[in-house]
Amino acid sequence: MSAERWKEDEALLESLRKGAPGAVDELLRLYQGKIFNLAMSILKNESDAEEAAQDVFMTVIRKVDTFQGNSAFYSWMYRICVNTCLMRLRGKRRNETVSIEEFMPVFTDEGMHASPMDDWSKQVERDALNEELGRMIRKYTEELSEKYRVVFVLSDVEGLSNEETAKILGLTVPAIKSRLHRARLYLREQLSRYLREGKAG
Amino acid sequence: MNCKELAYMLADYFDGSMDPRLREELDAHLAMCEPCLVFTKTYQAVSDKIRLLRRHIEYEIPPEVRKRLETFVHAAALKYPEKVREYRDQVERDRREMVADLVRAATAGKLSSATALLMESHCAACPECREYFDALRKTGTPQAGDPPEGIRSHVIGLMQTVPPGEEFFLA
Repeated sequence: MSAERWKEDEALLESLRKGAPGAVDELLRLYQGKIFNLAMSILKNESDAEEAAQDVFMTVIRKVDTFQGNSAFYSWMYRICVNTCLMRLRGKRRNETVSIEEFMPVFTDEGMHASPMDDWSKQVERDALNEELGRMIRKYTEELSEKYRVVFVLSDVEGLSNEETAKILGLTVPAIKSRLHRARLYLREQLSRYLREGKAG
Repeated sequence: MNCKELAYMLADYFDGSMDPRLREELDAHLAMCEPCLVFTKTYQAVSDKIRLLRRHIEYEIPPEVRKRLETFVHAAALKYPEKVREYRDQVERDRREMVADLVRAATAGKLSSATALLMESHCAACPECREYFDALRKTGTPQAGDPPEGIRSHVIGLMQTVPPGEEFFLA
């Protein structure tokens, strides 16, 4: 986390506690988009994400006085958001997700790559492909189970450190790293298949 | 190091947490193994693209949702007393229900393994809860209503330590 962000958060926390005018506007300005994005990426449904975001801000406002400050303010908010969304998922029939195992690299008994490898690393450097690739990455991410999706969104998309993500999710750093690695392996394979079919461009 | 080992070490390789001797081994493997070189380049390309394409991957909040949310949060912040009370009551009811469910499941041996483990280690350190749950398991039926306040707050604390994504109960 940058020093500016930390300072911004400290000031926000202070003014929320005081009930200062404009505090709520500031809270919304800084976090509305982030909370909605995080809720969307877990719930994958706009009206669910909207309700979850309402619950999150309600909880934040209600509990801001008791917030201990032993974690960063934003990571406290993210944690509330993740818990709120996962609670919502609990009661629901899960959407179909793919099995990540089917997209892990395949090796021979001797531990060598079992399938041929296309090098598309140069191909995807073309900026013209960015929008399409972004769309595909989002689509493939949505097909992952939330166990991987949440970690991927916090660490790789939001750009939090593995330590921060671990704290928010109540998991260990090695568990975060392993999920993140598997999510990337999965995306690598999905993109390989997509590009092999020659649809891109 | 073989290709399989290499593939599973790539995260460490790129975040710099790899032991220098292993890194040398990995580099040596990459220098002589074409499939691994391609695998590594494409793995890195994916990571680079994700960072770069953040804007396309994230969900943008629709203007009407933004507006509704703003109205809601401002109202909530004004502490509309009845709204707030309603919300708190709901939370309290949900929580009581969850605790009751958990106590029932604990009595019937239907806790998920993660929750059962947390419960076990809590009870090992907390005579009050140990006694309560031991007695319950003997009679086999939870009492009507909630567990006593002391137990209840311990159960709530316990529930909060179950990692997100873990189920409380066996399917």
